[in-house]
Amino acid sequence: MPSLESNLSVLGQEVPLGKVDKALKELWGADEARDKASLMNFAIYCENPESLVNNTQLLADITKEHACRGLLILNQPNGETPPKTRAWVTAHCQLLDGRKSVCSEQVSFLLEGGTGNQVRNTVFAHLDSDLPLVFWWQGDLTVNFDERLYSVIDLLFVDSSSWSDPKGDFGKLLNAHCQDAARFHVYDLSWLRSHYFRTALASCFNDPLALAELHKLNRIQITHGPGHRVAALLLAAWVGVRLKATVKGSTLVLPEGQVIKIDVKEGKDTEPLQAVELASDTASFGVDRACGSSYVCASVNMPDHSHEQILPADLPTDAALIANLLSRLGRKSLYVQMVPMLQELLAADA
Amino acid sequence: MSDIENPFQETLISRHRAEPCTVVIFGATGDLTHRKLIPALYNLAAGGDLPPQFKVVGFARRDKTDEGFRTEMEESNKKNSRQGHDDTLWASFGQCIHYHRSEFQDLDGYKGLKKLLDEFDKERGAPANRLFYLASAPEFFDQIMLMLRESGLNEGPGGKWARVVCEKPFGKDLKSARHLNEVVAETFDEKDTYRIDHYLGKETAQNIMVMRFANHIFEPLWNNRFIEQVQITCAENLGMEGGRGGYYDTAGALRDMVQNHLFQLLSLVAMEPPTSLSADAVRDEKVKVIRSLRKWKGVEEVSKNVIRAQYTAGSVDGAERVGYRQEDRVNPQSMTESYVALRLFVDTWRWQGVPFYMRVGKQLPKKATEISVHFKQPPQVPFATADQGGSRNVLVFRIQPDEGISLRMMSKLPGVQLLMQPVKMDFRYSTSFGKASPEAYERLLLDAMAGDATLFARRDEVENAWAFIDEIEQAWHAEGAQPPMCEYPAGSWGPKEADQLLQEDGRVWRRL
Repeated sequence: MPSLESNLSVLGQEVPLGKVDKALKELWGADEARDKASLMNFAIYCENPESLVNNTQLLADITKEHACRGLLILNQPNGETPPKTRAWVTAHCQLLDGRKSVCSEQVSFLLEGGTGNQVRNTVFAHLDSDLPLVFWWQGDLTVNFDERLYSVIDLLFVDSSSWSDPKGDFGKLLNAHCQDAARFHVYDLSWLRSHYFRTALASCFNDPLALAELHKLNRIQITHGPGHRVAALLLAAWVGVRLKATVKGSTLVLPEGQVIKIDVKEGKDTEPLQAVELASDTASFGVDRACGSSYVCASVNMPDHSHEQILPADLPTDAALIANLLSRLGRKSLYVQMVPMLQELLAADA
Repeated sequence: MSDIENPFQETLISRHRAEPCTVVIFGATGDLTHRKLIPALYNLAAGGDLPPQFKVVGFARRDKTDEGFRTEMEESNKKNSRQGHDDTLWASFGQCIHYHRSEFQDLDGYKGLKKLLDEFDKERGAPANRLFYLASAPEFFDQIMLMLRESGLNEGPGGKWARVVCEKPFGKDLKSARHLNEVVAETFDEKDTYRIDHYLGKETAQNIMVMRFANHIFEPLWNNRFIEQVQITCAENLGMEGGRGGYYDTAGALRDMVQNHLFQLLSLVAMEPPTSLSADAVRDEKVKVIRSLRKWKGVEEVSKNVIRAQYTAGSVDGAERVGYRQEDRVNPQSMTESYVALRLFVDTWRWQGVPFYMRVGKQLPKKATEISVHFKQPPQVPFATADQGGSRNVLVFRIQPDEGISLRMMSKLPGVQLLMQPVKMDFRYSTSFGKASPEAYERLLLDAMAGDATLFARRDEVENAWAFIDEIEQAWHAEGAQPPMCEYPAGSWGPKEADQLLQEDGRVWRRL
């Protein structure tokens, strides 16, 4: 396994913390063929030193579609040694029309020692002014996810599939979200991974004959990839919330008393979500994704009528998921409405 | 039953949702279908934006099978699709493409089409909406409308809608436009009639309203107190390649470009804020602009305010070009203009006294469509400088290519002296947003399927625009003395008379 020090080389040129701005200015002044573009501050926070290389690549991928100032923060708190911060600058450039480079800058920080509370100051001091702050918090929500930090975040990304204690972290997230100081919109990659699955499932119910079957549904079966049970449960919660159901054990109970049994199982493939089927005794509505395919097949099977449709599948990488979400900002997210039901499903799932 | 809403659909709120439908394209073997319509539908499919159980039927006179038509469309899609071509997706999308052979005036052909659409509905298990796209030559519009009416296809089955999309040109003068509107109105309600102007599907054109009404800094300045002039340029560096001369020589720059595309851009720049973003609220304001245009009547007024010209031999991009009258399929004695420049006034409170200059032409040095808003010279004190055009603020909307917006402003030159120089702030879509914009036809087809007519021209817009254009055409073709047909060498920025049009007002065309 490569050491942290050897991974640091991907971060570009190391500069003294107090001279980050000067280094950035020199970076842009060095080559007139480059255009700097920035529509937002995009920060990635992590505490896992092995993620440095991957996160630099993620920022490079995101900047292909969304010009930003990238901030990569690796926090290694250790109360036994005094805090120390190192900084690097680099740029991610894309060729435009084969001639000019359009570049986004990346500033990386390694925060070692101390209690880790220097995160706030490090972020605050290096934001591109007047631009929104998009913050991707990787891993568990630790004590460093505090009000002073999240009060400056406009858009927060988390990935609940990486949480060691989903019930606890969902609680922290909801608690933060309802604070007066919090003004962030939150997006969970586990939720984004089901975006096109949900769209495809919704398309199955576009005609009146299919809608009439809604009140006869009695089971939902979801197949997910290893490590993505939360994404599957979020999908089940979405079905429940949309049908105004309540959770009772591992079932959804609709207002009319109709019971839908939830069956969530792990599949053999690697895709986070592989299949979902809503069924009654006489009809089924399903979305299937073949391994490796960029499309899903949405199918409707009713006694006198059946059809299939090919629709886009959810995007394969975290960077693509985030880039796609940033392209459709302004859309009201249903995610926060799902979390309370998800917590009930997690409790029943335990 | 149909009143029950799909409870799962709420996640799709930000995008226009096309309603289940079959699209019928008249003139399906033509260039537009190959290069634009099928690739646009394919790209909508790739984005998951097509409705379930979607079908498209090509209607044309040539003998073809479904399979043969699909193969042709697949080849075209490989060449023209914005997002490339995916065999897996095409395998599914291609199956929704069908072909129906018929003459445009053959009622039995339409009855056959109706039967085919009814069969699709039977397969679906429910009737679907119908969108008829007129991509045929305009001389067939009458026949197609009549046959749609005679066959009953103008009414959707089982309470579903039937809509029609009309490609340009929508008439060649006010009389023919009114006639077409009458014919269409006998067949479809105005709310189901979508007159396409693909300029309105372009990202920057849509952004004009956003820039004006979503940014507080512009609208207070958007009037004759602060704006000195507006220029709209639509330059093309092509001539009559690909046999275009045949059509173009019957139309000319004024009818082909000004009546539709440029007037739409003018409307977006000059309109008052709409009360809402509904189709009619926006179009109400746009049509007021066209109605407020000061009409140029008679040879004298037209000569003074409108310059027409034809290109002579020259060179563009290093290649030799023949003159307009020597072009393929162009009448050697043609009096059709390949270039027109206009001085316009919008006689409203907001724009009183502000000239809107327009120019559009073929064989100009480069391809560019831009709108520039020129602000007045600021008070001279404390920076007493000569009145140089370069010192004024200019806001530019680049419609194509290199879509974006720039703002020119004054800045102090570094140094001990107080010297000023104009600098440019530039926003480019391609730099700021890595994601490619959808093609105009994708947006417009989706809107037509979703029932949003905001980006389509309404009957009164079209007729008012023709009423303005007709006055000029009448002066150009009047008995006796006519305004001159000026000349410009291919590869230049137009005739010197067009420069003089602005020089009379102490202005120059903006350098592109």
